[in-house]
Amino acid sequence: MTTTALDTATAVAAEHDVPIPYMQRTRDYYLALGYGNPYRWAHHVDVPFTPLPMPLSQARLALITTAAPFQPDAGDQGPHAPYNARAKFYKVYSMSSDVTPDLRISHVGYDRVHTSAEDINTYFPLARLREAVSAGRIGSLTPRVHGAPTNRSQRVTIETDAPELFRRCQEDGAEVALLAPT
Amino acid sequence: MCHQTVSLVARHLEAHGIPTVIMGCAKDIVEHCGVPRFLFSDFPLGNQAGRPFDVASQRETLELALSVLESAPAARTTVQSPLRWGADAAWKRDFNDLSKLSSEQIEARRREFDVVKSVAKGKREEA
Repeated sequence: MTTTALDTATAVAAEHDVPIPYMQRTRDYYLALGYGNPYRWAHHVDVPFTPLPMPLSQARLALITTAAPFQPDAGDQGPHAPYNARAKFYKVYSMSSDVTPDLRISHVGYDRVHTSAEDINTYFPLARLREAVSAGRIGSLTPRVHGAPTNRSQRVTIETDAPELFRRCQEDGAEVALLAPT
Repeated sequence: MCHQTVSLVARHLEAHGIPTVIMGCAKDIVEHCGVPRFLFSDFPLGNQAGRPFDVASQRETLELALSVLESAPAARTTVQSPLRWGADAAWKRDFNDLSKLSSEQIEARRREFDVVKSVAKGKREEA
């Protein structure tokens, strides 16, 4: 039997088939591990909004990532690597966007059960962005990509890292930005 | 933490005149923080830009993000990608799931995390 539009529209999804409630899961997880004082996630009422100043086909785009540059002396950072705090970084970095940098995600809590970080293009879309520039979809890329440190301290992110990333975006003449967490 | 970091950075860039879009997999964290534009992929963390070795899904994910960047009418615009990770959603139950672990295993997790915390603290202080 073929699926009709009506079947699709009326199909009922499983109860648990919702976006994972990460904040609740994380809270429950660390409480179960015996840590008190659950983390308070960043929460804001007002959200800034800047309309696009030009068509995307004329805009210069900056890519910002939370992936970490590979550090040869910092232990296993490859696919399937366990959580590796030694591979963390705590300062904003920049790298040329002309070549694909060697960026890894062993320093963060990605889903190690259901994915393996074998393909950089799943978390760092530079190759796809270059294609979009070639196709005329985006005007150009900034000469550098920028790395944002994942700091538990919201104050450090807001007062130190975000202004530094903005400064570098400005330096590069960025007109729009794509942010890819890991 | 990554999703929170980019959310805070997006807010800062946007407040200073640079339009942004986030491609992410943690819907609650990004929306709780509050961001201008967000393409949500309902995939395991680590696949914010598409499936592994599936260029078509990576292209589709980027194109959706670019469309959100171009056409969001106001702040807090979230678009959910129609792509599915698999035929069923069982994978969603596993993240940080302790229900199948013994108390010894939970204790071992705690010891591992204490090590992780102290290594991260050392790196932070070094920086």
